[in-house]
Amino acid sequence: MNLQILSYLFLIFIFISCIGDDFVDDAVEPELRITTLVDTIRQGDSFQFEVMYLNNVGQQENVEVSWNSSNNSVLTIDQNGLANAVKTGNVIVTASYESDNSIIEDQIEVVVGMETVINNITRSGTIQVTSNYILKGNFTLSENNDGLLLEIDESYEASENLPGLYIYLTNNPSTTAGAFEIGAVTVFEGTHSYDIPNSVQLNQYSHVLYFCKPFNVKIGDGEFIN
Amino acid sequence: MKDTFKIQLTLAFLIFSMSLLAGGGWPQPKGKSFIKLSQWWSVGDKHYTDTGELDDNVTLGIFNSSIYAEHGFTDRLTGIIYFPFFSRSYNNNLVSMTNGEILVPGDAINSIGDTDIMLKYGLTKKGSKIAVAGTILFGLPFGNDEGGIFKNLQTGDGEFNQMIQFDAGTGIRLGGKFDMYTNAYVGYNNRTKGFSDEVRFGAEVGIGFNNYKWLFITRLNVLKSTKNGDLPSQINSTSIFANNTEYTSLGFELNYSITDNVGVSAGYATATSGRIIIASPSYSVGIFIKL
Repeated sequence: MNLQILSYLFLIFIFISCIGDDFVDDAVEPELRITTLVDTIRQGDSFQFEVMYLNNVGQQENVEVSWNSSNNSVLTIDQNGLANAVKTGNVIVTASYESDNSIIEDQIEVVVGMETVINNITRSGTIQVTSNYILKGNFTLSENNDGLLLEIDESYEASENLPGLYIYLTNNPSTTAGAFEIGAVTVFEGTHSYDIPNSVQLNQYSHVLYFCKPFNVKIGDGEFIN
Repeated sequence: MKDTFKIQLTLAFLIFSMSLLAGGGWPQPKGKSFIKLSQWWSVGDKHYTDTGELDDNVTLGIFNSSIYAEHGFTDRLTGIIYFPFFSRSYNNNLVSMTNGEILVPGDAINSIGDTDIMLKYGLTKKGSKIAVAGTILFGLPFGNDEGGIFKNLQTGDGEFNQMIQFDAGTGIRLGGKFDMYTNAYVGYNNRTKGFSDEVRFGAEVGIGFNNYKWLFITRLNVLKSTKNGDLPSQINSTSIFANNTEYTSLGFELNYSITDNVGVSAGYATATSGRIIIASPSYSVGIFIKL
């Protein structure tokens, strides 16, 4: 009788203690993104454009991209993204990818002029809380001397009553898969910043993500608005 | 008086059979022992936040196979040990709903769990209408407090704690084949390694049938953190091991004595409110032996 009871206990234990699956709705719109930040190309120069394709879960994929110039008399571009600045003027460069009967594209307006000018933009956004923990603030991402600088402004506040809060840059705000882990959050109020290594490009990611590692749950995110 | 003593002796066995860490106001009689083999588990995908709201999390599970034993050194002094000889903690895989790929792999750890050694001393004489006892508990951190790939799985909190607890209980004859007991307790748990101390209190009511051959228990437990330790953000713990955890839980348990010396029990408890703790019910089954 006692052995039977022990056997039942053992069976209960075996059946309910296996690692299972929790499913995450991580679908995002596929996106083609020109990552080159150029404002002006010097007349007569060649310039290499870069592009990245992000699939329906925000992961980078190699795909065959078509390049097009809106005015070949001003700037020509081949199918590898290598442009030649022919004469001064304005032109729109388009990268496109045809996938499942839909065309995904991105455009950048470029000037052909006397000097090559790289855009030094500052990207910004606002943190939105997606849990019941306190999390708010605004952020900017800009280039500094050796890499990028993510700055969080004085309106920032995060709950200290949460174990293992980490901050990421990601193209899918639902998951840390494929995200760049900036590090553990150690500041919970006010202005602070994070240095990002130069392996990360300024417009490589679309969101800032706050994620609780121990509970494996998203706490909040913020989309770059530019 | 004899009846009162008999009731209280029975209660001493039965309360221990359903509550691993309580025991009530009744120490074991000299030379008597009680042993219980239990399986306790809790699995959940929600937790109480610091403001008491419910938030989702990856499914977490913790399982304890334990031995609880007590022995009466004298009629007033009882030695008690709670030893989770096998403890398992796991979390599920996070899987993409879009393409089925594993986003964050699940993980599991197995070890022995945190172990408690207790001494209970009866402050009232045998047969007193209200039995009062004091217990000192030493919590030994035998469990793993940072297991798994991401060091976020625990079978213990990693700290040595010391708790003092006082219990007061009384038994009542309801008439017919029904009996009843009530017990209340209050305790203070001093914790180390940056964990906040805890105040614990609660009460339970047990209804017995046929000289406690059947026993149904309702239990209320409250845990309050003194919040004098590190913040949870500084301690990488989850499930039932996080810091500054608080809860109010309601539990039910059914005990059945198969023979005079052997019985079985099954229990269920759920938190009605909480702070920074997994918000899932716990279940337990066990078999107990009186020697």
